[in-house]
Amino acid sequence: MKKYRKFTGILLTIAIALSLAACGSSGSAGSSGAAAPADAAAQDATAAAAGQEAETDAAPAQDTGAVFRTLDEITASGTINIGVFSDKNPFGYVDEFGEYQGYDVYFAERIGKDLGVEINYVSTEAANRVEYLETGKVDIILANFTVTAERAEKVDFALPYMNVALGVVSPDSRVIKDLSEIGADDQVIVISGTTAETYLSENNPEIRLQKYDTYANAKNALENGNAVAWANDNTEVIAFALQNPGYTVGIPTLGSQDTIAPAVSKGNETLLNWINDEIVALGSENFFHTAYEETLIDTYGADYEDSLVVEGGVTAQE
Amino acid sequence: MNLEFIHQYLPLYQEAAILTVQIGVLGILASILIGILCTMIHYFRVPVARQIAAAYVEISRNTPLLIQLFFIYYGLPKIGIRTNPYACGVAGLAFLGGSYMAETFRSGIDAVDKIQTESAASLGLSGLQALRYVIFPQALSISFPAFMANVIFLLKETSVFSAISLMDLMFTAKDLIGLYYQTTESLFLLVIFYLLILLPVSIVGSLIERRLRYAGFGS
Repeated sequence: MKKYRKFTGILLTIAIALSLAACGSSGSAGSSGAAAPADAAAQDATAAAAGQEAETDAAPAQDTGAVFRTLDEITASGTINIGVFSDKNPFGYVDEFGEYQGYDVYFAERIGKDLGVEINYVSTEAANRVEYLETGKVDIILANFTVTAERAEKVDFALPYMNVALGVVSPDSRVIKDLSEIGADDQVIVISGTTAETYLSENNPEIRLQKYDTYANAKNALENGNAVAWANDNTEVIAFALQNPGYTVGIPTLGSQDTIAPAVSKGNETLLNWINDEIVALGSENFFHTAYEETLIDTYGADYEDSLVVEGGVTAQE
Repeated sequence: MNLEFIHQYLPLYQEAAILTVQIGVLGILASILIGILCTMIHYFRVPVARQIAAAYVEISRNTPLLIQLFFIYYGLPKIGIRTNPYACGVAGLAFLGGSYMAETFRSGIDAVDKIQTESAASLGLSGLQALRYVIFPQALSISFPAFMANVIFLLKETSVFSAISLMDLMFTAKDLIGLYYQTTESLFLLVIFYLLILLPVSIVGSLIERRLRYAGFGS
C-alpha cells in the first residue's frame, strides 16, 4: 500500500509538471521565460484560494484573450509600455542619473509626447524581445530590433528608422578581417537572440560561438579576452571600437543590409498604423536626423549619419 | 506542439543536460569536500581556520550564485586569473554549495545529544573513536534530508550559468526561443529534461533517507 502511494506521488509530480509546461504554452497567455508557468500556477492557486478578489488582481490583460492593448486602450490608460535596451549605448541605455537615453529612447520619448501618455520603460534582453510582445508585457519594442522574416512571422514591424548590417570587432593584437581567419579553436562572442547569432549559425556553422545573454556580459567577456572576436550589429561594434581603444572593426559589413524598426504585437493594427503615420509625419521635420545629432553623433561622428538614418520610413537602397 | 522541432533540437538538449549534470556533480562533490573540511575545523575548534571558515560560510551563503559567478568569471581576469567557463561554473557551484554543506553537516553534529559524547567518553572511547562510531553515524542520519535538499538545490542553481556563456539547459532553451521563437516546444523540453535529471535524484534520495532513519530514540 505504501509503495503504491509513493508511485502515485511520482505520477502526480509528472502530471503537474506537464500541465505547467502546457500552461506556459496555451495560446495567447504565452510565457516569458521559465518563470511564467510558475507564475501562472501561483496565480491560479491564489485565485482558487481567495476567490474572486484575487482573480481580478492577477494578470490584467492576459485573461481577456487579447494579448495586446489597442491604441485606444493605451491612450485611455495614460501609460504606454515600451521595451528598450538598458545596456546598449548609444541606442538604449541607462545614464548615470538612472534615466533611459539613446537613439531608440529619443524616438520613444517622442511617441509618448505625441500620444499624450506617460512612458513606462521596460528593460529587455535581445532574446526576450519577441516574447515581450507575444505576452503583452510591452506595447512597443524599440530595442534596435532588426527586421527579419522569422521575426515578422511573430510580431508586426512598423516602418524602419535605421539601417544596419552585421560587423565583427576584434582586439588590435589580432584583427579578424575575414571569417576564414577564425580558427577551429577560436571562439566568437555573440549575443543570444541577435541576428548575428542567427547569421553565423546558419551560414558559418563551423565557427564556435560563445553566447551571452546581455550586452554588458558580452563586452566584459571580450575585454577579458575570452574570445577572438565579437559579432553583432555593425552599429554596435563600431561604437564599441570607438569607445574602447585597442579594438578594431575588422569586418565592417557582413551579411545583408537590414533595417531596424519598431515592433508591436502581431495583429495590433491600430497601434501599428499610428506608428507608421508618426514615422512618415516625422520625416517632414527630419526627426531622425535630429535624433542622430542628439544621441549618436558623439559616437559615430557626422560621417555615418546618412548611411545609418532612415527618414520617413523610406530606405535609400533597394 | 511542433514535433519536428522537438526532434531536431533534442540533441542540443541532451548535450546541455550532460553539461548540467557534469558541472552539477563535480560542483557538488567539491562542495561536500569543502563542507566536511569546514565542519571538521568547527568540530575540532581549530584556531584561526575556524574564523576563516565562519567568514567563508557567511560570505558564500549571503551572496547569490550569480554574483559569485560574475566575480569569478568577469572579475578575476582583471587581476590576471584567467578561467574557462566550465571551471568557473564548477568553482562557483562549489563555493556556494560548500557553505550549505558545511552548515548542514555542522547542524547534524550539533543535533547529536551531548550525552552521547559523554557516554562515549565514559566507555573509554577516544575523541576520534567517539566521532567515528558514535557522533558521525547519528549526524549522518540527521543531516541526510537536508543534504539531499542541498543537492537538488545546487543542481537547480546551474540554471544561472547562462551568464557565463555555458550552454546549460536553461540557456539552451532561451537561446532556441531567441533563434526560432518556438517558445512552447523549447520550454516543454526544458521542463522534461530538468525532471529527467532531478526526479531520479529525489527518488533515490528519499530511499536512502528511509534506510538511514535510525538516529535517536523512539523516532
